[in-house]
Amino acid sequence: MAERYDVIVIGAGIIGCSIAWQLAKRNKRVLVVERDDIASGSAGATDGVVGYHTKKPGAQMELAIQSIAMFETLGQELGEDIAYRLSCGGMQPVEDKMQWEILSEIVDNQKKSGVDIRMISPQEARQLEPQLTQDIYGALYSPTGGKVNPLKLTMAYARAAKRLGAVILTQTEVIGLQIQGGAVTGVQTTGGTFDAPVVVNAAGAWAGAIARFVGVELPILPRKGQLMVTEPIGPFLTATVQCARYNVVKFKPEAVTDPTAIRLGASLSIEQMDDGGLIIGGTREFAAYDKENTFEAIEVILRRALRFFPALRDVSVIRCFAGLRPYTPDGLPFLGPVECCKGFYIAAGHEGDGIALSPITGKLLAEWIVEGKPSYDLKAFCPNRCTG
Amino acid sequence: MKQVTADVVVIGAGSAGLCAAYQAAHAGADVLVIDENHLPGGQLFKQIHKFFGSRVHYAGTRGYQIGQQLLERVQDSGAKVWLDTLVYGMAHDKTLGVIHQGTHYTVQAQKVIVATGAKENYMAFPGSTLPGVMGAGAAQTMVNIHRVLPGQRVVMLGSGNVGLIVSYQLMQAGADVIALVEGAPKIGGYAVHAAKIRRAGVPIYVGHTITQVLGTNHVEQVEIAAVDAQFTPVPGTEQRLEADTVCLAVGLNPMTELLWMAGCEFCYIPAFGGHVPLHNWDMETTIQGLYVAGDVTGVEEASSAMEEGNMAGIAAAQALGLLDVCDAESRKAEIAARLDVLRSGLFGVRRRTAKQQQLNAMDVSMGGASHNG
Repeated sequence: MAERYDVIVIGAGIIGCSIAWQLAKRNKRVLVVERDDIASGSAGATDGVVGYHTKKPGAQMELAIQSIAMFETLGQELGEDIAYRLSCGGMQPVEDKMQWEILSEIVDNQKKSGVDIRMISPQEARQLEPQLTQDIYGALYSPTGGKVNPLKLTMAYARAAKRLGAVILTQTEVIGLQIQGGAVTGVQTTGGTFDAPVVVNAAGAWAGAIARFVGVELPILPRKGQLMVTEPIGPFLTATVQCARYNVVKFKPEAVTDPTAIRLGASLSIEQMDDGGLIIGGTREFAAYDKENTFEAIEVILRRALRFFPALRDVSVIRCFAGLRPYTPDGLPFLGPVECCKGFYIAAGHEGDGIALSPITGKLLAEWIVEGKPSYDLKAFCPNRCTG
Repeated sequence: MKQVTADVVVIGAGSAGLCAAYQAAHAGADVLVIDENHLPGGQLFKQIHKFFGSRVHYAGTRGYQIGQQLLERVQDSGAKVWLDTLVYGMAHDKTLGVIHQGTHYTVQAQKVIVATGAKENYMAFPGSTLPGVMGAGAAQTMVNIHRVLPGQRVVMLGSGNVGLIVSYQLMQAGADVIALVEGAPKIGGYAVHAAKIRRAGVPIYVGHTITQVLGTNHVEQVEIAAVDAQFTPVPGTEQRLEADTVCLAVGLNPMTELLWMAGCEFCYIPAFGGHVPLHNWDMETTIQGLYVAGDVTGVEEASSAMEEGNMAGIAAAQALGLLDVCDAESRKAEIAARLDVLRSGLFGVRRRTAKQQQLNAMDVSMGGASHNG
């Protein structure tokens, strides 16, 4: 007899662990199956920007607003410190008129959701972040942006879920799904077979392979993000800072002309952690499942960092790493049940927004599974939107 | 990002690296030697004492003179030397990320020889981060290279050859070594070095350790205590010594970071200072074309580092087709025989056993024959 659970979640990343916690809170018997280890994928190899200003206007922004609201009490609910810094601010220094115009247009659309995002002068930007170069055209500023430690947050979700009875099996790979009469009935793993009437695919960049078990083609591709971390230094940055190219690459990639920047999807993203180290990113590269750092990307990213923060010249980088983000063609995650297989849900494809969107994703998926529908309409994120 | 290519790149211009570079360049390879220091020679230029052993290993010659000879040989061989140059990374395909004179390069070579040496172990105790607490090697650099005394009243922890030699050299430079502290029941290094320390009247505390260092902004007092058979301090035996400097000579560990990055397989051998890369008799690691030589393969001493460098340089040149096979094999056999002699006797046998263990682990990993790519 296979062990029986109410819900099996595939993947112990930040999304899978958030869902497991929310389900456990709703008295569900949950099993999380993880091929590697908790937070061993994207959540363990990223920065922790939690901001509105990097979100696509419309459905994604609306979701982000609800998610970020949850962050305010999240650490308390989870019962541990997740290094969330509310309102450290988010800034995107702008280099020229073209970037200013692109960002201004995006900001106008983002503001329709009622968030405080504004375009500010170079002087205002440097008052907020004195380490910033004078050589900027202006900046986007979002005073309510925050940051979090994604590793701590994922571990906190996992521990809170376990305290409520959830079981997390690491080093256990899903090798097949059990389906009877068009409905999922469990999973086959390298650690045995487990039964459950509901299975959630939260495998991030690997979600496509899991979906294929039920014949669903998810257009999720792994997208490599390379980052670096510096030695700890004194107070250097308050806000999380991305160069304006970050949003341009994300929302209007056709406006980027530098061929290296296009190929690597390179832009600056920098934040200072509580211990004083700076996390400096990043790239958005299509390189299949390769996670190796490249000397080219390291140079491109660090040149970008020096362009905006000249004082970094004397700071040592102590480590490089890369994570694989789950890319989707329209930039929106797949959230909800699939049509062709009853009980099979998908919660994957957040690309670079998984950290910020993890609280709301867990909550809405749990509501959907337990109560039959989520408290917020997720139609825009329907997993069947691309497969038809 | 600029790109540079060579037949052979040697990382580290110390005893092992200079020998490897000479052998490869002498065989006709296009060789680039890279070192992060502004002077070549690694540890050799700090060694003002005469070496022991046989004539072929420069016995009777002072370390810095050996370094000078090796360097001249390398320069005459046509190898290029980049100093003040940092190798900050090695990709799985052995491409190196290099910062040279403020410029970022990638360096690609058919054969890469890593001869990065070792770094000093640290020991933590209350006060161990106070200014004035330093590695014995750091103190030796200050005295013998920069001609600066680190302090006037020195407590040396550790009585291996490093602890003994640096104690003596600190005294030569004008400092007082007020205590030589050793956890073991007897002195660890060669008797000839220990005799110099004894003759100078340095108080020797075997079976003791440092329990704490006291001071406001720098070292002012050092508390030592006797230890039991488990090296645990015995309460009530504490005594405080007035000192301004503490030198830690508590062993070395191989600088293997680049090899981990490249994906080499390792084994753990305490006698060699910790995790060491697997390699075969040619000094080639589990990654084809990636060689190691010297302390990075396991902490030994300068003579075996030089011989391992010779071995790696000849093996790399042979693999490039630059040497007659018979000639190369006979020279390698001679080197192996000399290494065997270096790893014999009272102090050498432990290292010979350790090296055999490392070579056996390589055999097991490689299934006795082929390399992975």
